[in-house]
Amino acid sequence: MLSTPLVLAASFAYLLTLFGVAHWADRRAQAGRSVIGNAWVYTLSMGVYCTAWTYFGSIGRAASSGLWFLPIYLGPTLAMLLAGSLLRKMIRIARSYRITSIADFIASRYGKSRTLAALVTVIALVGILPYVALQLKAIASGLTVLTGTQGGSGPWWSDSTLYIALALAGFTVAFGTRHLDTSERHEGMVAAIAFESVVKLLAFLALGVFVCWGLFDGPGDIFARAAAQPALKGLSGLGAESKFAGGQWFALTLLAMLSVIFLPRQFQVMVVENVDERHVQRATWAFPAYLLLINLFVLPIALGGLLHFGVGGADPETFVLSLPLANAQPALALVAFIGGLSAATGMVIVEAIAVSTMVSNDLVMPLLLRWQRGSERDLSVLPLAVRRTVIVALLLLGYLYFRIAGEAYALVSIGLISFAAVAQFAPVLLGGMYWKGGTRAGALAGLAAGFALWAWTLLLPSIAKSGWMDKEFVADGPFGIALLRPEQLLGLTGLDNLTHALLWSLLVNAALYVAVSLAREPSTREAAQAQLFVDVFRRAPAAGRATPVFWRGRARLAELQQLAARFLGAEAAQRLFADWARRRGIVSVQYIEPDAQLVEHVETQLAGAIGSGSAHAVVAAVVEEEPLAPGDILRMADEASQVRALNRQLEDLDRQKDDFMSSVTHELRTPLTSIRAFAELMRDDPDMQAEQRQQFLGLVVGEAERLSRLVNQVLDMAKIESGHAEWRNDEIDLRELIAHAVQTTAEVFRERGAVVCVQQPDAVPTLHADRDRLLQVLLNLLSNAAKFVPAGSGRVEVRLTADARGARVEVCDNGPGVTLDQQQLVFEKFRQGGDAANRPQGTGLGLPISRQIVEHFGGRMWLRSEPGQGACFGFELPWTRQQEETSA
Amino acid sequence: MSERLRNQRLLALFAAGWALLNFPLLTLWDRAGTIAGIPLLPAALFAGWALLIGVAAWVAEAPGDDQAPH
Repeated sequence: MLSTPLVLAASFAYLLTLFGVAHWADRRAQAGRSVIGNAWVYTLSMGVYCTAWTYFGSIGRAASSGLWFLPIYLGPTLAMLLAGSLLRKMIRIARSYRITSIADFIASRYGKSRTLAALVTVIALVGILPYVALQLKAIASGLTVLTGTQGGSGPWWSDSTLYIALALAGFTVAFGTRHLDTSERHEGMVAAIAFESVVKLLAFLALGVFVCWGLFDGPGDIFARAAAQPALKGLSGLGAESKFAGGQWFALTLLAMLSVIFLPRQFQVMVVENVDERHVQRATWAFPAYLLLINLFVLPIALGGLLHFGVGGADPETFVLSLPLANAQPALALVAFIGGLSAATGMVIVEAIAVSTMVSNDLVMPLLLRWQRGSERDLSVLPLAVRRTVIVALLLLGYLYFRIAGEAYALVSIGLISFAAVAQFAPVLLGGMYWKGGTRAGALAGLAAGFALWAWTLLLPSIAKSGWMDKEFVADGPFGIALLRPEQLLGLTGLDNLTHALLWSLLVNAALYVAVSLAREPSTREAAQAQLFVDVFRRAPAAGRATPVFWRGRARLAELQQLAARFLGAEAAQRLFADWARRRGIVSVQYIEPDAQLVEHVETQLAGAIGSGSAHAVVAAVVEEEPLAPGDILRMADEASQVRALNRQLEDLDRQKDDFMSSVTHELRTPLTSIRAFAELMRDDPDMQAEQRQQFLGLVVGEAERLSRLVNQVLDMAKIESGHAEWRNDEIDLRELIAHAVQTTAEVFRERGAVVCVQQPDAVPTLHADRDRLLQVLLNLLSNAAKFVPAGSGRVEVRLTADARGARVEVCDNGPGVTLDQQQLVFEKFRQGGDAANRPQGTGLGLPISRQIVEHFGGRMWLRSEPGQGACFGFELPWTRQQEETSA
Repeated sequence: MSERLRNQRLLALFAAGWALLNFPLLTLWDRAGTIAGIPLLPAALFAGWALLIGVAAWVAEAPGDDQAPH
C-alpha cells in the first residue's frame, strides 16, 4: 500500500506537468515555433481514443472473455485505412467553412439548421456524460487500490477525485478556451494530450514487461500455465462461448470504427486541431500501430493476474495496480496509476472542450440570443464565458453522476453505450459528405429515430439493470407488451444486446434519413450546402481564393460592422473589415461594397465564435436575402467552376508568355553577342587588314539584318496574335503568286544547286486574301526547303491543286525530313527543325507566323514527313471564309 | 504514385482487413497449437494486425506525385 498523501502528491505533480507542457507549447506557438505542426504529434494526439476504459477495462474484459477486447481497436485500424479519403475530406470541409464541432458539421451540411445542431448536441451530451463519469470512477478506484482506503465514502469535500475533477476543469478552461474563435487551434492542449499518450503507453508497456518477465518466465510461460488450468484455458481464444459469435465481433468492429471518427473528442483532435492535411498520411498507419502496442500485453497481464490471484481473487480491472503492489513494487504501481490517470484525464479534457463548444454554440447561445434580441450590447465576452461555465458544469455533472451511480451496471458498460450513441451520427454525416440528396428533415428524422431506439434498446435496459427501474420492463416489455421488449424488439432474438441495439438503431436511422430526404426536393439552402460539402475538393477555396457564394441579397455595411463588433469585439471586428478592404484592394473600410461575398465572410467569422447556426441566424436578421430558385444554385456553381476554368487558362497563357519572353531574349542575344564580338575585335586592332575588316563588317551587317528580321517577326507575331495586324485583302491568283515566290527565291536555290519544279492546273479561281501575307507564307516555305535540301542534288516540288472547297499548296523537298517528335514542334515559336549542330540560320518564327496567317484566312497548315524521305509542308485555304473573323 | 491510386490501395487494404480480422476467417485460427509459446489465435490476430499496419505504412508513406486529393 502507498500512503494517500504520496499518491495525491504524485497525481497533482503529474497534472502540474501537464500544465507545464501545455504552457510551454502555447509559448512556442506564440513564438512561431509550433510543436504540434508535426505528423507524429498529430498521431499521438489521436491516442486520446484510449481512455481509462482501455487502460483498466480491457484487462477486465480479457479476464472474463479472452480476445473480445480486441474489436474495439481493430475497428479504428480499419477506419484509419479510409482516413486518406474520408478524414481529409472532413478536415477540408471543416477548415473551409470554419466548422468546430460535430454538431456544427452536421447542422451546417443540412442548411445550417439550429434544431439539428441542438439534437446532435443533446445526443452527444447524453452519450458522453456517463463516459466522463467513468473516467472519474477509474481514477477513484485506482486511488482506492493504491492507498487501501475507500475513496468516495467520506463526505464530498474530502474526496480527492473531486479535486482532480476540478483541476481538470481548471486545465481545460486554461488551455481549451484561449481564443474566442474555436476554429483556432489549442496548441497547448494538443501538446499535453500527445504527451499523455506517450505516458500511458510507456506506463502500460512497463507494466506488461514486469508481468511477463518479472513475475513469469515470458508470455509463453503465462500461456502455458493458463492452458493447464481449465478455468483459464478458453481465455487464450475467443472465450467461453462454444460457438464464435461472428455477428457480435462484426458489430463491435463496426461500432469502434464509427466511434473513432464520430466521438466528439476524436473529431476535436483529428479534424478541428489538425494543422496540415498531409499529417493524415502518417496517422493512417501510425495510430493503428499505437493501438497495437498498447494492446500487446493486455492478454498476458489478464492471464498473469488470474494465475497470480486465482480466479475471483482480485478485481481484474485493477490488475495493473494490484499486481505490482502484491509483488512489492510500489514505485511501478505508482507509475501504472499515473498511466491510468493520463488515460482518464486526456479523455476528460478533450471531451470537455468538444462538448462545451457544442453546448455553448448550439444550446446556450441560441437561447441567450433569443433572450437578448433587440439589444445592442457587446456580446463578445459571452461565448467564452459560456464555454468556461459549461466545462466546469460538465465535469461537476460527471462527478455527480459517478457519485450517484457508483458501482452500478450503468458505469461498467457505459463505454460501449457511448460508442453506440455517437454511431448514430454516421448515416447523416457520411451521407451528407457524399450524397447531395440528403435534407434537413431526413437528417432530423434519422437522428431522432436512431437516438430514440438507442435509448430504448440500450440505455433504458442498462438503467433497469442498475436497479433504478423496474426490471420487468426489460424482461416482459412495457405494460407486458412482449413485442416492445427493449432487448428483443419485435421479437428479434439471437443477438446480444449491443448488436441488437446497433442493428435496430442504425438501420432505422439510415432508412428514415434516406426515405424522408427523398420525400421532397432539397431546399435551395440545403442544395447550396450540399454542393459546398460534397464537392469540397472542387469548390472549396484554395489559399486566398474566395468561397463560392450561393446567396443573393442586400446588406448594409454599418449593420454588418455593428454585428461583428457585437460578437467578436470592436477590435477584432475592425481588423476583420480592414483585412477585407486590403484583400480587395479597397482604399478605406467605408468604401467596402456589402456584397454577398462580404456577408458570407462575416458569417463564417462569426461561426468560429458562436457556431454556424447562430451565426447564420444573426446575419440573416440584418441582411435582406433574395430567394433563390433551385436552378440558381446549379447556375451559381457552374459560374464558380467557369471562373476557375478561365483562371486556369489565364495561368496557362501567363506561362506561355514567360516562355516566349525567355526565348525571344535568348534569340536576340545570339546575334548581339557576335556583333559585339566583331566590333570589339575591330576596335582593339587598328592595324587589321582591310580585307579581314571587310569580312567582319559583312558578318556584323548580316547579324544586324538577322536581328531586325527577328524583331520584325516578333512584332508581326504579336500583332497577328493580338488581332491588331492590318490585312489588305484583294483578289489574288495563286498561280501568279507562286510564280512570283519561286522567282524571288530562284537565286537561293541556284546557289544550293537545287531544282524547283511547279505543278499546277491551268487555271484556278481567285482567292480573296492579303497578297503580301500569303507571299510571306510561300517565301517562308520555299526558303525553308532551300535550307534543308542536300547541296548540289536538291529537288523541291511546289504543287497547287484546287477543288470546290478551296486551294491547296504543298512544298516538298528531298531533304533529311523531320522526325516524328520534331514534327510536333516545328510550328511552335523558336523551335527550329534539325539538330543543334547543323541547324540553319533562322529565327524560329517563320512557320508559326505562316500558320497564323493561314489560319487567319480560315485555312490550315500541316507537315507530312518521314525521316529520310524529305518533308512536305502544305496549307489549304477555302475560297470563302466560313466565319468572318471578328477580331481582325 | 497518384493520390487517387494511394487511396484505392488503402481502400483495398480496408476490404482485406475486414475479411482477415473478422468472422468467419478468424475461426480458422481458433484451434490448438502454439507459435513460440503463444496460442495460435492471439498470435495470428496480432500478426495479421501488424501485417495490415505494415502494408498500410508502405502504401501511405510511398512518395506521391501530388499532395492534393482530387
